[in-house]
Order: sequence, then C-alpha cells, then structure tokens
Amino acid sequence: MSKFRINKTNFVDQTNRISFKFDGKTFFGFKGDTLASALIANGIHLVGRSFKYHRPRGIMTCGSEEPNAICQINDKSNLTEPNVRATEIELYEGLEANSQNCWPSVQFDIGGINNLISPFIPAGFYYKTFMWPKSFWKTVYEPLIRKTAGLGKSPIKPDPEIYDHKHVHCDVLVIGGGISGIISAKLSAKNNLNTILIDDKKELGGSTIFQDNEIFKINNKISKDWLLNEIHEIKKLKNLQIKTRTSVAAYHDYNYLLASESLNDHLPKNEKDRSVRQRLWKIRAKKVIIATGAIERPLVFNNNDRPGILLANSINKYLNYFGVTCGLKNVIFTNNDSGYETAISLHKKGLDVKIIDLRKRSGSELIKETEKLGIKIHWNSTITNTFGYRKINSIEIMSLSEDGSNVIGEKNKIFCDCLGISGGWTPMVHMHTQSGGKLNFRETDQVFIPKEFSDNRISVGSSNGHFELDEIVKSTNQTVKKFLHIQDTDLDDTNISCSKELEKRNIWLLPNYISIGKNKSFIDFQNDSTAKDIKLAMREGFKSIEHVKRYTTTGMATDQGKLSNMHALGIIAETAAVKMGSLGTTTFRPPFTPLTFGTIVGRSVGKFFDITRKTPMHEWHVKNNAEFENVGQWKRAWYYSRDNENMHQSVQRESKAARDSAGILDASTLGKIDIKGSDATEFLNRVYTNAWSKLSIGKCRYGLMLNEDGMVYDDGVTTRIGENHYLMTTTTGGAANVLSKLEDYLQTEWPELDVWLTSVTDHYATASICGPNSKKILKKLFSDIEFNDQNFPHMSFKNAKIDGIDCRIMRISFTGEHSYEINIEAKYGNSLWEKCMEAGKDFNITPYGTETMHLLRAEKGFIIVGQDTDGTMTPIDLQMDWIVSKKKYDFIGKRSLYRSDTMREDRKQLVGLLTDEPNTVLEEGAQIVYDENKKPIEMIGHVTSSYFSPNLNKSIALAVVKNGRKLKGQKLLVPMRDQTINVTVSDFIFYDKNNERLNA
Amino acid sequence: MLDIKLPEFEKKVYPELELSLLEPSYKINLRGKNRDFFTKAGKLLSIMLPIESNTSANIKNINALWLSPDEWLIYGKDIDKNLEINLNNEISKLKYGSVTNVSDQWVIINFKGKNIFEVLSKGSPFNFNDFKGKKNVVVQTLLNNVDVILHHQEINDLNLFVRKSFSEHLWLWINDSSRFI
Amino acid sequence: MFLINCPYCGERDQSEFSSGGEAHIERPKQPTELSDDEWADFLFMRKNIKGIQFERWNHSHGCRKWFNLIRDTSNDKIHGIYKMGEKPPKV
Repeated sequence: MSKFRINKTNFVDQTNRISFKFDGKTFFGFKGDTLASALIANGIHLVGRSFKYHRPRGIMTCGSEEPNAICQINDKSNLTEPNVRATEIELYEGLEANSQNCWPSVQFDIGGINNLISPFIPAGFYYKTFMWPKSFWKTVYEPLIRKTAGLGKSPIKPDPEIYDHKHVHCDVLVIGGGISGIISAKLSAKNNLNTILIDDKKELGGSTIFQDNEIFKINNKISKDWLLNEIHEIKKLKNLQIKTRTSVAAYHDYNYLLASESLNDHLPKNEKDRSVRQRLWKIRAKKVIIATGAIERPLVFNNNDRPGILLANSINKYLNYFGVTCGLKNVIFTNNDSGYETAISLHKKGLDVKIIDLRKRSGSELIKETEKLGIKIHWNSTITNTFGYRKINSIEIMSLSEDGSNVIGEKNKIFCDCLGISGGWTPMVHMHTQSGGKLNFRETDQVFIPKEFSDNRISVGSSNGHFELDEIVKSTNQTVKKFLHIQDTDLDDTNISCSKELEKRNIWLLPNYISIGKNKSFIDFQNDSTAKDIKLAMREGFKSIEHVKRYTTTGMATDQGKLSNMHALGIIAETAAVKMGSLGTTTFRPPFTPLTFGTIVGRSVGKFFDITRKTPMHEWHVKNNAEFENVGQWKRAWYYSRDNENMHQSVQRESKAARDSAGILDASTLGKIDIKGSDATEFLNRVYTNAWSKLSIGKCRYGLMLNEDGMVYDDGVTTRIGENHYLMTTTTGGAANVLSKLEDYLQTEWPELDVWLTSVTDHYATASICGPNSKKILKKLFSDIEFNDQNFPHMSFKNAKIDGIDCRIMRISFTGEHSYEINIEAKYGNSLWEKCMEAGKDFNITPYGTETMHLLRAEKGFIIVGQDTDGTMTPIDLQMDWIVSKKKYDFIGKRSLYRSDTMREDRKQLVGLLTDEPNTVLEEGAQIVYDENKKPIEMIGHVTSSYFSPNLNKSIALAVVKNGRKLKGQKLLVPMRDQTINVTVSDFIFYDKNNERLNA
Repeated sequence: MLDIKLPEFEKKVYPELELSLLEPSYKINLRGKNRDFFTKAGKLLSIMLPIESNTSANIKNINALWLSPDEWLIYGKDIDKNLEINLNNEISKLKYGSVTNVSDQWVIINFKGKNIFEVLSKGSPFNFNDFKGKKNVVVQTLLNNVDVILHHQEINDLNLFVRKSFSEHLWLWINDSSRFI
Repeated sequence: MFLINCPYCGERDQSEFSSGGEAHIERPKQPTELSDDEWADFLFMRKNIKGIQFERWNHSHGCRKWFNLIRDTSNDKIHGIYKMGEKPPKV
C-alpha cells in the first residue's frame, strides 16, 4: 500500500487491483477508485496545464465541477475522448489517460512561457492584439492560435460504440441521490407513486455517506450509518427505479428532462464489447424533486491554483470514501465550519493538520471538538501566497484587518504538502433555473436559492439552501409531504443532533500586500481568468455580468463556471459597490455536464441517419443498376447506368429512347389522395385555380393549387372515378403537406362540405409508360381494351384487369409523349413492372429515372413545383394564365392574384433560354444580367432548369426573369466564374408546341 | 399471373420479444359521422364502431380501430373484397361517408412478448404506462419519427401499422433496437 | 417539448403536433369584395404578442384534427384547449 492509501473503506475493494496508464506510465489502483483517487493514491497531483498560461495544475475536486483534472482518454483509439474529468472516470483494467494542453509533457511544458509573459496577456488580449494588420489574420495569427488553442484532441475515426435513446414516463423524478434525494424518493415511492431516482455517481448517498463525525446523528445513529440503512431500504421499493451513473443534462418545459446514463465506461475493456455505451433517457415526469445538492466554493487568493490545493470537502471524500489522503502535512483554509469536518477526519487518521480561518472566532460544536483535539487554528487570517512548482510545499499567511479589507502584521510561513480550501457552499440551482425558475439572493451566506416552487417542481436539501443536517432532513420531509400530498411519514418525529454553524464571514477577493496587478488570484481555473482580469474588464467599461463573462471568458470553459461564477459575481458587485443580488446570475444553459455527440445522436447514424421510403419496385431498380436520388424521404431511381455510362450518357440515351420508342418510369412516389363525398366537385373548385364542374366521370384534369397568398403551392392530375369520387395526385415532396392543408380547410373553413379525404399514396404502385410505342405495349398488356383515341382519349381513365387483378389506367402525360399510367395495389407493383418490361421488350422499352423525366418535361416547358417555382411565383408569373378560371367566384389564393404587388408587370416570370452556343449547358441557379459593365450589376433573374436536349440537339433552359413575358428574343448574359455565357430569351416550350405527339 | 410481393421480413426472436409480418391482410378505411353511417357500418361489420378515443372493437376476426371521431381502420381475417363492395354500396354510394381500400397502404408487424414496450419506448414519446396494461387499445403516434398505429389487441400482443414505403426502414430500426433491450 | 392535451386523443408529446399560427382569423367569405388593404390584413397581419395568445394546432401525427390552444408566449404555459368552432374559455 502506498503511503497515501491509508484507510480501508467499504467503497473501494482493495483486494481487486487494477492497472492503468497515465501519461504512458503504468500505475495501480483498486476497483472502486476513480482515476483521480488512484492518481492521488500514487502521489500524483500534477495532471495538466492550464489553458492560457500553461501553469501546472492538480486535481482540485472529486466531482463533476472539476476544472483542472481533465484528460484525454484512450488516445490513439477510435474512441479517444477529450476533456473527461479524472474525478468522474471509474478505474477499469486497461484504462489509458493522458494529460492535456501540454507539450512536450506535463512536467515540462513549453507553453509555460505564457506564464512568464502573462502581464502581457490581459483579458481581451486576443480581441485587442490580433486585429491588425488585416492580412496577418489568415497567414499568421489564425494558424498560430489554432495550434495552441482548444482543449484535447477530437477522435478522427467513426465511433464504433452503440448509443441508445429511450423515453420514460413517471409520476415523480428525483434528481440527486444524496440524503435529501433519498428521503424524497422514499416518501414518493412509498406513497404509491411511480418514482425514478437519478444520481450521477455509481452509488447513492451524496456527501453524507462518507460523513463519519459523531456529532452528526439521526435517531442516535451516525448520519452515514443511518443513510446506508435508508439506501438499503429504498432498493427494495417496487415503485422506485434507481438510476446511478446517470446525469441529468437538461430540464425543459413541461417536466421534460434529458439524462445520460453511462453503461459500460466503467467496465474492463474486454467486457465492453457490443453493449450500449450510453443511453439518453428522455424523461417526462409529472413532478420533479430537485435534490442536486451544493458544491463547495474555493477561495480567491494569490497563487491559489497550485497542485495540492483542493476543496476541503473533496479531501474528506478522498480520505473517507476512497481511503487516500491528499497530503501528509495538511492545512485547511476556510471561512465556515465544514472545513473543520475534514480537519477532524485527517487528525483522527493520524495526519498532521492546521486550520486557517477567516473568521474572528466561533464556538460551534465542531470547533469545540477541533480545539479539544488540539488542532491549531489561526483565526482571522488569510493566505497571501503559496509556493511549490509541481506541488505546493508551503504557504504564507497574514492576519486580516478589522474589516477584512487588508492584511496586517507579520508574514508567517507554514510548510505543507496539501491545502484544503473552503469558501462556503453554492446550491446547485442549475436544474431549477433551466426549468424556468427564478432565484433569490440570501445575504447571510451569499447564496442564490430557488425563489419559488411550482405545483410540479420543487427543490429540497442543500440545492434549496439548507446546509445543516437537521434542517435538511426536516425541511425535505415537510416540503415533499406538501408537494405530494402525504399525511404522515416515518420522518415526522426523527431525532437529529448536529453541530450548527454560528459565525459567517465571506470575502470574495482576499486582501494581499501584493497589488492586484501583480498577484495571481484565480477565479476560473480552467480558462485561467483572474480577479485582475475581472477588474480590468470593469475598468474598460463592461458592466453586465454577461459581458464581463464573455470578455474575460470566466465561466466559459467545459466546467461552465461551476466553481467560478459566484466569485466573479462577488468581485463585480464589490468593485461596482452594488448588491450582489441585484446583479443576477449568468444564464444556466443545458447541458449541466458535457454530453458526447454519440449520446445526442443515439442510433440515428449510418443507415438510420435519415428515414428512407422505398417504392414497391425498388429492388428491380437496384438490380438494374439504378442510381438513386433523394426526393423528400423517398429513394427515387435517378438514372440507370448501362455499360459504364456516366450520368450524362445515361440520361441522353434514356431521353432519346422515350421519344423514339418507349420509356417506363416508376411514378409510385407521387402523392395520392382519395376524395369522396357529395361536395367533392365543389371542394376541387375551391382548392384548384381551374374549374372542375364539367369534368365528366372517367376524365382526368391537371390542377394547380395556390397558397392563400396567390403563390403556386402544388400541382397534379386529378381523375374523376365516379359521381362523388376523385383521385388526386400531388407532387412527391408535397403529399403530406397538401393532405394536411386540405384537411385544414375542410375542418376549419368549410365544415359544411361533405368531403372525405384518405391518403392512398402507399396503397398503389404506379408505372408510367410513354413514347410512340406505348399504345402497342398497353395493347399487349390489356387485350380487352380498345386504345384508340375515341375510346380512350388523352386525359381519361379506365378501370382494367391484368391477370384478374384490378388496376386503373390513366392516359396522361408529363413528357409530352403519348403516355399511360397504370395504378395497381402495391403488392403487385413489382410484378406489374416486370410484365411491362416483358411486353415492351420488342419496342426497346427503356426504364428512365427522374433526371430524364425532368429533361423531357423541360423540353415541353412543364414546370416542376419547387424547382421552377420557389413560393414567390403566381400562375401568371409562370405564364399559365390559361389555368386560372376567370369565372369562378373564389378559390384558394384567387384574391391575391389581384393585389397590386402580384399584378406588377416587372415580376420575375418564367421564360425559356437558349444559349447562343448550343452545346453550352447553363448551371441551374446561375444569375442572369443585362449588362455586366454597369456597376453594381443588376441581377434580373436566375436559371431554374437546364439540360442538354438530345431530341433537339441543343442546350435548353427554363429561367425566371424580371418582366420575362415581354423579353422574347432579348439577348441576356449569364456570367460564370470563367466565362460569360450569351443567351437569348425564347418560348419555354421547346418541343412539339402543338402537342401532336400526345395523340401520335 | 401477377406475383404478390410482400415485405421480406423474416420472423425474429429476441429476449421476450417476437416480431413477425402479418401480411397480406385486407384493410379498409372508413370515414363518416352521421347516424346512417354508424348504423350501416355496424350492420355490415356486425360490430359497433368504437366511439371512445384510442380504443378498438372486435368480434371474431374483425377489428375496428378508432383513429379519430370520424375515421376508423378495419382489418382482420374476415375482411374481404365482398365486404368492401357491400360497404361501398351502402355507405360511399349513398353518401353516408367514405370507404377506401387501404390494404397495401399499411404493413402490419406483429409484436409478442413482455419487451414490446421496452423497444417501442426507444423511439416513441407516447406514455405506455397505462396502455400496456389494457387490451383493445389503439394509439397513433410516432416511432423513430415514422407515423404508426399501434393496436394492443391482447396483453403483450400488439399489431403495428406502418405505411408500406416506410416499412423496410422501420423494420430494420425495430430489429436494431431489439438487439439491446 | 410541450405536453398537449389533444381534445380527441388526450395528452401527447409536442412532436406529434404541428402549429398553425394565430387562431380565429376567419377566411373572408367574399374575398373579391375586399380592398387590397383588407385582404392584406387577413393574409399577413398577425398579433404575435407576448402573453396570452390563441393558436391553431393540428394533431398531425395522431387523429389529424385541428383545434385551438391558448398559450402564454412568455412562458409557454398552456391555459386552455378547445375544439374548432367552440368559443374560447375564459383565461
């Protein structure tokens, strides 16, 4: 056993030895240790360098508030993780940790030069210095800053671990498994409420379970023993779910909380395999009890950051929980009674300890016992300096003046190898404020405490500002009783004895004979900001705490100022001579402790990154070498590459085949809405711009749907299946929104209409066959139907059967070719498709993808909503005046077409563009101008669709251009990076203007 | 002959959880709200459409799921083409409401076992605490951001309805999540 | 994430719903008879207040029904939920 492992405890299994590496060197610890406790047991305190000055830093706490001991875990593996707090890493076999922010080593760090030049690196140094010359930023300053900035290294390979998410609902959630949390959880669960108790440590008990002082007793048992028994009891409760190693990260509205559970980080490497690393719990609680406790405050004095300086209560935990001592010659520097508990513990273990107390005197039980034990107390004193480079070796103390604003008398030097500091306690009000709660400032001990409780959220114990044992137990009992409407509890007549703190004295910045400009009194240890920085910021005119915080970076490191915020506030208040309560605090934002990206993302990685929708013919497309395009969540066949064609070659081939003979497209993704009801026709009249009253049964019509603002929203063909029955198709991406919008009108504006909508998008598979030979193919498939123009004209539909299976055939066209769409129940989709391919074999039927479809329709000048429109295009802008009924009294968006703005003639309007050089293809999105020389150049429009047409053997494009209607024949310019392309405005129908091919 | 192609979901067994495909199955969407609609539907289905939210009614091999105050999903072994035609003639054609065949709109995945809700809770914000103790209850919610209808027909026996195009993705997700309950 | 008590389905997570903006803005019955200003008032003008606001919500991933909801925009507290066509309750 090392000389620092002096004590056997129930929490560390000293028979189970574990080896680990720190900075490449092998050490041993025990099961139950944290990395921090194991390092301390090995006499190691120096674990890192500070961010700005690269000063040596040691382990300072034993919890999530740790600012210094942050490590890079498992460097060089996929999973390497930066900024992990050594105080929270449970030791496991094979753990490798490295200190951060130092080069070449933590013992000798070149960046330490910053410490020597620190007078030249004041607050806001970066803002002030790297401003000029401007040209230096990219070449000199940024590379330099990048090299030295940042904490740790991020992993460079994909994370192989599994992260999971889970929702859970409960009646009562208790956050924090200390004494008040345990009391609350027990009361709740025993009262038949479905309760969850969460704690971030591996064991419940908070700071009471290592409290061995006999002054503190509950029902005549030492508080620790009483609590251990309670923990044993609550583990048996059926209604109570206990989650340890779980940290609540965020507390949102309506009691929705996120908590991250660590499941395998503590396991030896060979046991981690294939298990979930972390689980993010999404908790919805009817009521929440916040019992997050308090954290100890440091004291702000010169050189208060050396390795070997720890929070006093942390020393106590290392001693009584882990069985290790931080030093052999200890000094406790305190302004309150809690430091005395540590001193007594140390003394009882036979270790040397002295106390320096800011207060003038006190006579509480604890102090009486301390004096009885013969521990030396320096009253009314402060530390003015500390010494020792890699670990503290001595301190210098002086007496305080009457009002505490100055030091007086002689300097005394005390040798020590460990200094415990305690500046009082700060209630952890993060959860309370994250949930929207406000705070009050309590002057007596300078703490912010929850201002109000709500019906579904309370704070108890020290997170509510109760620090004395009797107060904690009794008030928790009372508050929870009221909150959960409980009558009597076992705790109503508990008998508690404890020491009560009688005197208080708080000095945010301790006085020194060395001027503030020349001493180093750290406030934020991780970001290296000092009291001097805060004062400088205020001299420079920063008043708001939010501004001072950002200027000095106080509280902005990975610990989010858990140790520093209160001191920063206190010093600002003192300097500005205002009341601290009136300053307010900075905003506490989630997460409480950092979350890994893996935990946030959960299983939404790889194939689960986004939802994919597939058509019934998907596998056929895959087998036939299709490349896919994402359209909304759908995977649509984009083009089918044959014989190593590139995309351009495939599209040219497919386009040609569709016009020369026959092409087939999977159109299953189009939205389909079944419309029934006696007012269906009237409904269509109201939602589309054109008239529907005269559409006879068996006929199809194209419709354009606007928003109420007159802008094009969606389009598609609707078929009249029966007297009161229509089938509407929508764009692929618009399907869900169109249905929702139509339901909205039916439910809210026109409840009098008898119309029923049902989505049938997924019910049908759709194969669309086009081209001059399409009719012949259909004839082969449906021998009993006459496909002549008289019996089956363009824009009509027929019910049909194929092999006895019902289907619908629509003769409609999006390519301008003679064309049919066959709708069949989705389960037959793949088979139908194969049948079509078989029937089309003799006609070189060519499957084509969305790119070819886009090209073919562009040749015909058909718009695609969302490509040629962007929510600012009216039908008039699209030169589709023909589809806007003049006779109908009203339809969605009609009135907006007569607004002064929509009637402007110089709106952007749809036009065709032809490049003067026919082989040059424009880029979609390219800007269009009149004149390149007149500066500033006026952008008059942009290209919306552009292709090389194999059927016309030239480049064609659609564009929107200001006043485009009147510009036919106008020469315009499309300036690109390497050339300016000359274009001429043309008609936007490039091919078969008289629609002769439709009936070919 | 046209071949039927169903999703290729092989039965999977996990601890206290069994997943299988329940296809092909006939499904009909009913919408309506007037008295005639209820009477006709009740007569033809020999079952009263449930009007209590989030519940289902069932008789032998017909299940009627409440989807909204004017919408129901009917499925089960005894639902067939003839019933659809009858419903259509007596309801749709007489303008009492709408009858729509949605057999292929939805894919049914059957869940059996004690761990059903452990898996569903991974991707659904719905509170299953009461739901899991009741039979003949229905909920429309989200699972891994996909719309689903859940029909808890018997304790620890649940049918999940997902739109066909989403079904493969959701099936893979469910199986992935079932690996580490 | 709110918890919203759908008047048809009961209490559900906000992710099942979509918001439809300010409530009680009725579509004019005779739009063509309105001046540009009157129409623009219907089309564009919304109160967007800090405090009690009446809103339209849709249970889009549930029963697909629209309903009205009273929300205090300053703290997101929901003060009432009522069906379309019903009079808003007193807050």
